[in-house]
Amino acid sequence: MSEVILSVTGLEKSYDEVIAVAGLDFEIAKGECFGLLGPNGAGKSTTLAMLEGMEDPTQGTVQYYGGPRPPDYQTRVGIQFQATALQDFLTPFDNLKLFSSFYDDPIPMDQLIDQFRLQEFLHRDSRHLSGGQRQRLLLALALVHNPEIVFLDEPTTGLDPRSRRDLWDVVSALKADGRTLILTTHYMEEAEILCDELVILSHGKTLLQGSPKQLIADAGVSDLDTLFLSLTGETLVKTQEVID
Amino acid sequence: MISIMRSVRRMKAVFFARNLEYLRDRASFGWNLVFPVLIVFALAVVFSGPPRALFIVTAVTSDSLPDLLDFPGIETISSDRSKALDRLSRQQTDLVVEVVEDSVLYWVNGNSASGAILELLLEYTESRPLERGETDGEAIRYVDWVVPGILGMNMMYSALWGVGYVVVRYRQSGYLRRLKATPLTKFEFLSAQVLSRLLVTLTASAIVFVGTNLILDYKMVGSLGLLFLIALVGGLAMITLGLAIACRTESKEFADGLLNAITFPMLLLSDVWFSLDGSPHWVQIIAQVLPLTHVLEAARAVMLDDAGMADITIHLAILVGFCTVGMALSIKLFKW
Repeated sequence: MSEVILSVTGLEKSYDEVIAVAGLDFEIAKGECFGLLGPNGAGKSTTLAMLEGMEDPTQGTVQYYGGPRPPDYQTRVGIQFQATALQDFLTPFDNLKLFSSFYDDPIPMDQLIDQFRLQEFLHRDSRHLSGGQRQRLLLALALVHNPEIVFLDEPTTGLDPRSRRDLWDVVSALKADGRTLILTTHYMEEAEILCDELVILSHGKTLLQGSPKQLIADAGVSDLDTLFLSLTGETLVKTQEVID
Repeated sequence: MISIMRSVRRMKAVFFARNLEYLRDRASFGWNLVFPVLIVFALAVVFSGPPRALFIVTAVTSDSLPDLLDFPGIETISSDRSKALDRLSRQQTDLVVEVVEDSVLYWVNGNSASGAILELLLEYTESRPLERGETDGEAIRYVDWVVPGILGMNMMYSALWGVGYVVVRYRQSGYLRRLKATPLTKFEFLSAQVLSRLLVTLTASAIVFVGTNLILDYKMVGSLGLLFLIALVGGLAMITLGLAIACRTESKEFADGLLNAITFPMLLLSDVWFSLDGSPHWVQIIAQVLPLTHVLEAARAVMLDDAGMADITIHLAILVGFCTVGMALSIKLFKW
């Protein structure tokens, strides 16, 4: 295994009485695409927020190269949130300029515009972008400072099949660049194509961890979708029994 | 018929859903109920008392005042001599009275008919020796009085809503969370908001000031530089107040209620539309803790009385205090 960039130990998060994440342990290798899978409410986004440094864990730790996260951790990560509004009336060009100005050494705007194919809608009001265009812009904004780790929270949710495949191409290109990608999704096909390593979550706990190929082979099923459906259906009941 | 019933059914469903949403948003529901009740009580208290008097007399001292002041048609207010004479020269009061030992000093405005009547009545009713003083000065037009109020009110709305409401909208839409994921600090974000809104507020106020003066030719006898300084410090005070309100609020409806709760007392008690000189003392004390009161007192002093820096220093100092507290609270409590 290559060098571990993030290691998670005993990670928990609760909000009042609700336990969102109930003790996770895993490691993420540098340069891999790591997927967090699970049904809605499984704790994927909360886990991601703690890895991003946007939320503090109730218990447990997230280590960066085996030590505490440095004060400039935010400049080493790029985040594409699940639902992000942008300022009204600003165009993708204005937004790129704004977000570039937050960093000392941003990627040249022309490069981002080419890489994420923003040219055709570069000067359009951001409120009038299609879902796919918007996601490409948000991804460009997350990459503006050339981060080492990129977090993608359900990047293709709500997109049509073509836009989804477009975005997969973009994500694959990022992966080929050698960046570490951490994504959440509930599209099994997406996880199977993009991810090197997966954690399947339910009720804030790990159900399974491994590479997609290994998980499919171990379970003796044809694809990840079949594995996931059988697994979550069975385990949801068990988890509910524990809660009861 | 069936299509009408379907339509009614759908409308009914949306109607109930909206009502449920409204009832469950306790903050805005509460404000919608509580706020009008507060306004009614506030107006009732502020404007309680006997009907408006025929004449207004300003008493500089409080003991052994002339019997004339007990007449039902005369309203007596208290003030120091300097302020009283300023008011007399603007004909905002009809007579100024001060009792010194056994004699009664009084001042009238030579251009005021009401003052002449009161002078006659005073001579007729007062047995103690009288000493006469006179000021002159035209009665201040209402437009001269109200223009600073309207400019200040405009600044207040622009500053409070332009920052307070917008920041809450950013938070509710997740935009602040997006910014949190960048190296942008709270201080940088808040300062940029303050400066941006200050530019808008000052520009808008300057355009309104120049434009309305060309048409109405209202009184402006003081220094434009001082007036700009008042607008600058006053604008900052209002903007930082807006930020302090928005620093943790998550609901636009609740922010709306809070902003109304801040602006309405200023609209009512800060001399925007009319002078509160005759109002109860405690009302005037409350007015002094509102930033708009200080903006307007300073602006009117400059515009109407050619006041200098020394005359308005206290107002500027209080406004700077508002800015400092507002900004410190905002930075301390701000949540992305």
